[in-house]
Amino acid sequence: MFPTPIQKASAPARLAYQIALPIALVIWLFPLIGVAVTSLRPASDLAAGNYFGMPSSIAYENYASVFRDSPIGWYILNSFKVTIPTVIGAVGLSCLTGFALAVYGFRANLWVFFAFVAGNFIPFQILMVPVRELTLKAGLYDTTLGLVLFHVAFQTGFCTLFMRNFIKGLPFALIESARVEGVSEWQIFRHIVLPLMRPAIAALSVLVFTFVWNDYFWATVLVQGQHAMPVTAGLYALNGQWVAAWHLVSAGSIIAALPPVLMFFLMQRHFIAGLTLGATKG
Amino acid sequence: MPHDPQPARFWKRNQMKIAPYAFLAPGAVMFLIYVLIPIVQSIWISFQDWDGLGPKTWVGLANYVELMDDDTFYVALKNNLLWLGLYLLAIPMGLAAALFLNQNVWGIRLYKSLFFFPFVISQVVVGLMFTWFYAPDFGLFSQLIKWLTGSEVAILADERYVTYGIIAAGLWPQTAYCMILYLTGLNNLNFEQIEAARMDNARGWRLLRHVILPQLAPATFIAMVVTVIGALRSFDLVSIMTAGGPYGSSQVLSYFMYEQALSEYGYRMGYGAAIAVVLFLIMMVFITLFIMRMIAQERNR
Amino acid sequence: MAEVSLSNVKKDFGAISIIKGIDLEIKDGEFCVFVGPSGCGKSTLLRMIAGLEDISQGALRIGGRDMTRVGPSDRGVAMVFQSYALYPHMTVGENIGFGLRMTGHDKAEIAKRTAAAAKMLQLEPLLARKPGQLSGGQRQRVAIGRAIVRNPEVFLFDEPLSNLDASLRVQMRGEISRLHQDLGATMIYVTHDQVEAMTMADKIVVLSAGRIEQVGSPLELYHRPKNLFVAGFIGSPKMNFIAVDARPHDGGIEVTLPGGAVLQLAGSLAAAAKMTLGLRPEHASATGAGDAVLPAKVHLAEHLGSETLFFVGLADGTEIAVKADGLAPERPGDSMQIGFPARACHLFNADGQAVLNGDLTR
Ligand SMILES: Nc1ncnc2c1ncn2[C@@H]1O[C@H](COP(=O)(O)OP(=O)(O)O)[C@@H](O)[C@H]1O
Ligand SMILES: [Mg+2]
Repeated sequence: MFPTPIQKASAPARLAYQIALPIALVIWLFPLIGVAVTSLRPASDLAAGNYFGMPSSIAYENYASVFRDSPIGWYILNSFKVTIPTVIGAVGLSCLTGFALAVYGFRANLWVFFAFVAGNFIPFQILMVPVRELTLKAGLYDTTLGLVLFHVAFQTGFCTLFMRNFIKGLPFALIESARVEGVSEWQIFRHIVLPLMRPAIAALSVLVFTFVWNDYFWATVLVQGQHAMPVTAGLYALNGQWVAAWHLVSAGSIIAALPPVLMFFLMQRHFIAGLTLGATKG
Repeated sequence: MPHDPQPARFWKRNQMKIAPYAFLAPGAVMFLIYVLIPIVQSIWISFQDWDGLGPKTWVGLANYVELMDDDTFYVALKNNLLWLGLYLLAIPMGLAAALFLNQNVWGIRLYKSLFFFPFVISQVVVGLMFTWFYAPDFGLFSQLIKWLTGSEVAILADERYVTYGIIAAGLWPQTAYCMILYLTGLNNLNFEQIEAARMDNARGWRLLRHVILPQLAPATFIAMVVTVIGALRSFDLVSIMTAGGPYGSSQVLSYFMYEQALSEYGYRMGYGAAIAVVLFLIMMVFITLFIMRMIAQERNR
Repeated sequence: MAEVSLSNVKKDFGAISIIKGIDLEIKDGEFCVFVGPSGCGKSTLLRMIAGLEDISQGALRIGGRDMTRVGPSDRGVAMVFQSYALYPHMTVGENIGFGLRMTGHDKAEIAKRTAAAAKMLQLEPLLARKPGQLSGGQRQRVAIGRAIVRNPEVFLFDEPLSNLDASLRVQMRGEISRLHQDLGATMIYVTHDQVEAMTMADKIVVLSAGRIEQVGSPLELYHRPKNLFVAGFIGSPKMNFIAVDARPHDGGIEVTLPGGAVLQLAGSLAAAAKMTLGLRPEHASATGAGDAVLPAKVHLAEHLGSETLFFVGLADGTEIAVKADGLAPERPGDSMQIGFPARACHLFNADGQAVLNGDLTR
């Protein structure tokens, strides 16, 4: 273990560490805590200049009014309408591509693989004009489906990298053994590899969910009106309306941040496994 | 055995040849349509004058020539370099946070999760949080500065500080990301090597430098990749916090491109595409380096 | 009927030639073992028979049918992998029946065959378990069970016992041999362990660097190795090799041993030459009984209880191993008289080819 376990240190050092932990956490999360507190502060406090003191009361009505007076509920729904099909599409497609790249030694294999990998790293702006044009022409501009299709395609790059490496880590003899038994390639995928990919599917699902939920750029490029706008772009638009109504902005921010945060806490192990792929070995 | 119908037999005989392409096709086609072809199209459009609706006019290198004379381009380029340089601080900061948290005390798992929190939140929300944090009069940070120096600074309205202010906001989630990479790396250290080094009397900084860091090299590599990409992709925070202002002083290439191609400044698709191509070329340098390293690793497998 | 025949089979990986032309006939029902040092191409050859590797050149026939370009599932073979390759998410029963299920057999048939295989391998109490809950030996049996249910004409084994501990290995060796007797199927078995080869095989194929060195029954290889490689590979402890001068003499061969002792061997020789004399440790006499007696000094004594293995130095420094009685009293540093019986001596020429085999069965 590195650093040396604190249990081996002197008693005062241990105590200092135990005290330092919460202090460091509070400092680290200061912007978040500030926003959370503000979201519960009544508007009257802000008007009276009470920005830092104890709120005069806990104003849950900020949240109520955000939901009542703004379309944020609708935006959240749109975000789900974009995110969930994207997760299913990207993870599904990448199971197939990852399998193809991990199991078969066809000639273009490495090139295709590196194209997927490189695609991950490119700046979105190089895609912006043509993808917007394509979406417009397909009549999908300003629809959640337009966003879904793009996100599925783009996330497939990252997911393929992940899936391919995951399947490469499975014992190849499983596949060969099935081949000798007369099992078809599709059956091998369906009955042997797919069941063993469950951890990878879980990890990618939470990751893709978070990435797509938090996307802002494409939400502004491919959507204009309220009816298809996801919550990130919606929040930005609301921020323009709520000039200086920080209690509302804060409440809106917390609402927008909540789904991925919940996802993270529920599926923490998978989330981190996905994010740190490759951080331990070659 | 029942009689095998002809198509089934054909499939059976040739499935090893067909299967890889069949599995690959759906994902590859999507990726081709939405990622690979648009790259080529963008490069093509960068040689055109086009408002997104009317006909395209071939203008050759005119967009690039104009770019070379555009002051905003240089501001954006300079800011991108600043982003790149300062963003890399997320790596040592993330390592420090990971070392701080890599203990086995009660509740440490929750601490790790909470430290990681900023990464899970959308950059839009992060941008709003920091805008609030920096706000003159009532922003906590401004209050802190006022208390320390006696004078007030409006970070996001001050050309001197605005980019640093946005980068600081970006470092918050990025540090969390690097921290989680290093925590995973630290979890997978080779303990025998560390014990051996401790027997040889290496400890503290020297142990870190000569034994731990080399073992953390894969984590450092991934942290480098995601941080460099993140720095060059910076768009959300600039858009949310300043929209490139004041007076274009916090401009970066990604936002500059968006502004030229799609915002109220007019629909200059060709010019925007040219900016995107420049950004793409800068990114390509790094992508090539990363891929070369990955190829080397594939060879060693 | 499932004889396996390979004619001039070759395999290249890119520019590197791994299998360099194999001609081999394996009879129906025969237990054939491929043996050779690690990396010599045994697995590659087996996988070519299974259809998991393409055959670069040459032809493969199984049961008289040309299988050179046929897919693995249509060759009528079953393979047991070194790692067992059990599907971790399926129970033992599902593992055994999986291939049948996927190839469209009906449920009753699958159940019947699974039960029969489980019975034969004493797997009945384990059918509902997952592979993760089994011991190494049990996993091995499941892997064999998976092969049996398909009633293959040819079984292929790739080092199936190398992940087991020593005692289990001996036990499984016996079980596989018994299985062979019960099923009467052709079996091809790859191992790098010559003891496994000797104890199980009807026919041993000794491979080295992608070529066949010799094919024969275990005793043939033991008594009549064709060359130095086979002589050194088969038998444990290894055959002793001693550099000697040989010349024709009196219708036989006379060799001069280190220290000057001469030994008269049968056979014929055209001209005098430097040669290598081979003598197995179990045929050398520690009590000095033999047709030539050499003085030697004990370097090391390994006491195994039932026997003692001496490593002794001859006059010119050559070290040889000698198997002796378990109660032999000599200790390191002591002198011994080593007897060389002429009828057990092998002689190899400068190319490593046998000129004379000390075949004790003759
Ligand atoms: N797919 C492959 N590509 C290149 N070389 C290979 C491949 N498979 C095996 N080899 C090489 O072929 C040789 C024989 O391998 P193998 O048949 O596994 O040996 P054995 O089973 O006798 O130990 C080895 O030198 C190995 O490195
Ligand atoms: Mg092998």
